[in-house]
Amino acid sequence: MKKISELDLPDDIRYAEDHEWARLEGDKIRTGIDDYAQDQLGDIVFVELPQVGDTFKKGEEFATVESVKAVSECYLPVGGEITAVNTALEESPELVNKSPYGDGWFVEVKLNDPSELDALMTNKDYLEKLKGAE
Amino acid sequence: MLARFDKRWLCVELPATEYREAWDLQVSIVDARKDRSIDTNVVLLLEHPPVFTIGNRGGLDNLRVSRGFLAKAGIGVIQVQRGGNITFHGPGQLIMYPIIDLHSPRQTVTDYVENLEEVMLRTASDWGIKAERNSANRGIWVGNNKLGSVGIAVRHGISFHGMAFNVNLSLEPFGWINPCGLQDTGTTSMAQELSHKVSMDQVRNSVKRHVEALFGVELVMTSLAELQGHLKS
Repeated sequence: MKKISELDLPDDIRYAEDHEWARLEGDKIRTGIDDYAQDQLGDIVFVELPQVGDTFKKGEEFATVESVKAVSECYLPVGGEITAVNTALEESPELVNKSPYGDGWFVEVKLNDPSELDALMTNKDYLEKLKGAE
Repeated sequence: MLARFDKRWLCVELPATEYREAWDLQVSIVDARKDRSIDTNVVLLLEHPPVFTIGNRGGLDNLRVSRGFLAKAGIGVIQVQRGGNITFHGPGQLIMYPIIDLHSPRQTVTDYVENLEEVMLRTASDWGIKAERNSANRGIWVGNNKLGSVGIAVRHGISFHGMAFNVNLSLEPFGWINPCGLQDTGTTSMAQELSHKVSMDQVRNSVKRHVEALFGVELVMTSLAELQGHLKS
């Protein structure tokens, strides 16, 4: 397990309580699970993603991740409509471990309400929270 | 930092409990854990009446008999969101469902699953049974035969489901499935390995002792009624 200080927490994305991240790209956001989450889950063997066109509210379960006999729920950090899913994860779920913010992204979402993105934590706030819980 | 370490877990010993009933109870404890109306981890110990459950990635293809055959035998099949494939639960199998927060103290899913396996390995060893892990498959094994299984689900960082340890249960229903989706493997029990029945009470006590040692906690016994006082109806 990585130490909190060893976690990769880029400053160009926002973080949610349940360890998902969100990056603004035009009028959409891309999201996945962060380095803390992939490190805690261990080797990911299966990712179940929603369909393009599905809509979710902020905080709703939108995906599940399976690792070592464990199924973990993932929650959408902002509400909106799914506009793309990372189909590469069907064949290569390990991308989530290798590159959680890059090739291991989960879905793209058309935001309902931009203020929901602003309400997420910056990397500094998130790091403070993680340190506080340690 | 030490003060945050949750040194006491609540433990409830339940009578034989239907699978869905135990599932609902776990989910309500997860909710209570999340909104902090319960501040400690909770361990449920129980047995289930006969039932097959299928995990997230399992399918009916690993069932080797018809559903009609099972209906006649009075055994249901339930699809469950947990890790793993198809398995059987029944009387004589000790079930432990820990509802624990994996974030405090912070632990990885792998470490947690390995600790559950270790609880079963040490318990088997108390009766002189040499079980081991298998690098290809989770759970604990005596040779090619599975003695105990692990499968968990994580919701908002809180883990539920847990482990199933074959103590005295009838192994016949495992012949009706490919357990965990595996072929060419079998299932065993403590009774099968020892050629005699084992006291479930003694196994429960052994499991509790090993949980305390491995997780560094004290199990505080409580009743279901007392626990339910903290849960939303």
